[in-house]
Amino acid sequence: MNPLIQFFSFQDPNIRFVVIGAILLTASSAIVGSFTFLNKKSLIGDAIAHAVLPGVCLGFLLSGTKNPVFLIGGAFITGWLSLVAVEFVVSRTRIKEDTAIGLVLSVFFGIGILMLTVIQKSGNAAQSGLDNFLFGKAAALVGDDLIAFGAVAAILLVTVFLLFKEFTLLAFDKDYARAIGLPVRWISVTLTSLIVLAVVIGIQAVGVVLMAAILITPAAAARFWTDKIRVMIMLACVFGALSGLSGAYISFVAPAMPTGPWIVIVISTIAFISFFFAPRRGVVSRVMRQRTIRRTIHDENILKALYHLGEDCKDFTERHTAEEILRKRNIGSDHLERVLMRLKRQGYLTTANGRWQFTEEGKVRAQRVVKIHRLWELYLTTHLNIAPDHVHDDADTIEHLLTPELEAELEKLLDYPREDPHRAEIPYP
Amino acid sequence: MNTIQQTPPPALEVHDLTVAFDRKPVLWNIDLTIPQGKLAGVMGPNGAGKSTLIKAVMGLLPLSSGFVKIFDQPIDAVRGRISYVPQRESVDWDFPASVLDVVLMGRYGKLGLFKRPGKTDREKAKECLHQVGMEAFANRQISQLSGGQQQRTFLARALAQEADVYFMDEPFAGVDAATEKAIIQLLTTMTEARKTVIVVHHDLQTAQQYFDWLILLNTRLVAHGPVETAFTQQNLQDTYGGKLTLLSDVGDLIRRENFPNREGTIPKMI
Repeated sequence: MNPLIQFFSFQDPNIRFVVIGAILLTASSAIVGSFTFLNKKSLIGDAIAHAVLPGVCLGFLLSGTKNPVFLIGGAFITGWLSLVAVEFVVSRTRIKEDTAIGLVLSVFFGIGILMLTVIQKSGNAAQSGLDNFLFGKAAALVGDDLIAFGAVAAILLVTVFLLFKEFTLLAFDKDYARAIGLPVRWISVTLTSLIVLAVVIGIQAVGVVLMAAILITPAAAARFWTDKIRVMIMLACVFGALSGLSGAYISFVAPAMPTGPWIVIVISTIAFISFFFAPRRGVVSRVMRQRTIRRTIHDENILKALYHLGEDCKDFTERHTAEEILRKRNIGSDHLERVLMRLKRQGYLTTANGRWQFTEEGKVRAQRVVKIHRLWELYLTTHLNIAPDHVHDDADTIEHLLTPELEAELEKLLDYPREDPHRAEIPYP
Repeated sequence: MNTIQQTPPPALEVHDLTVAFDRKPVLWNIDLTIPQGKLAGVMGPNGAGKSTLIKAVMGLLPLSSGFVKIFDQPIDAVRGRISYVPQRESVDWDFPASVLDVVLMGRYGKLGLFKRPGKTDREKAKECLHQVGMEAFANRQISQLSGGQQQRTFLARALAQEADVYFMDEPFAGVDAATEKAIIQLLTTMTEARKTVIVVHHDLQTAQQYFDWLILLNTRLVAHGPVETAFTQQNLQDTYGGKLTLLSDVGDLIRRENFPNREGTIPKMI
């Protein structure tokens, strides 16, 4: 059978367990992680993930079994303890948070490794598989795990749903929340508990080291696509689930491949794509925007040069050669050629026998640029007391930028003047 | 016969308030009272402790000594009646929220836990946006606002609380003159409705014109009272005429020596 069909038909219970488990883990971590991200506490997840290990070992030592309730319980306690330790160090010493996290993380993890080694050397047969907490075991999830994960995921979802507005306000403006009397301390404790829970179940899929990635990366990726917090959290959830599903699929078609690391690779790829290609916030979109701005500036400068030529011969219908334009604005003849062709395509210029002429639209646009340039020069000299010989360069930038509203405001403020500081006429349509 | 006259409790009463950062006191022994319905200005030079005072009063900073009462009650008993406009720079404006989202936060106190803002809250928020001239910006992302618009958004959020006492930390920073006038107009109308507004303010020029109550501060209280009596040349001289070097040196000494502010508050060490 085609592995794709075999996988997505979910006939095999093992596939079902792994897929559902991976999705539950990644999606719920992504939702809780969104708030860690918005609280700018991204490193906290890493601290908890490492601090969970001694708790798992402790749970095993005390119960003698790998019953998830004991392991998760122990993990929850030491995860929380690590946060208390971080807060204690920060508030009682001069050590800053990042250093405190580094200290606490390594101490807890060290103790955890120590305990794990002791347990492994003890010859207790029940201990095999405990090191799954170190590296994750997403590909070996069983029904019992799913019940535990499902329960935790439900707790996370319901709590986030109920306390959504409180979590949001705390992330945005904690002082205000306190001032209006919200129980900030309890809300923070609740959110932290959710993070600890998410980490405790998450590390069983991806392990201690990669946990921070499935907590924070979906939110960081989602932030690129939207400015709405609800959409952001939903996107983070989808990104997380997608990575969980892909991780499970990849380890199914290539059994030698570990699920956890693939989950992280997929979510990181999504983050990378978001970073580069998201509209508005992405790198490519920014570069494109810069390019558009640069083109506008070149276009308008050439239109302006042609307008100045028109002013010189007092006739805006006159045709001019490229050489004449270059004398007004030297941007190199190759570049000029490209700009002229672009302006022609856009309907601002026409050409005949290598000579260039405004269309009506072209003249209107050129006139507007010249007008704003001269108005701005006048504004700088009259309102900011800048010497007339220092205003040209500023005006050269502002002329391409001003919106029609600001243009109107400027005209009104200066009372529709006739001349700029250099006695050049300010053209009105 | 009962001859005791019923006077309304003061909006704010501060008694022997000392606030320290890292053990160094930045406010020493402040005692003051603000009656209800006043538009009060908190003024003083940079580093005088103006923001610290209002944050401490609202319980956002630990007090080294003293207590605060609002309407004769401890602050936590009247949280629902107080409102706060923090400094604009105190939050990250690159947060995924719209102007309306932020103003709706003003309703959270009244809503209580778990409940979501409904239609009436939304209408109230829009009305408050209208009051500060921002109704056209309701759906704008807050990252796209200018400084003055951010300030007005915070103001609208405070108004949406429908509180009785308003603490405002430099609400005019980055606001143009026309908007400042409009806001002062709004605050004056509020005080006419017996609201109390306490404003941290920078500009001495406008102080007399804006406020009817004044608190002059420079790490200690220089003067407080009706603006006619507090706004004197001598008081201004005392407030702005340089730091009290001795006081500041003693504060530094307290920090260096890790000394308690009061007997009995010896710092608990680890």
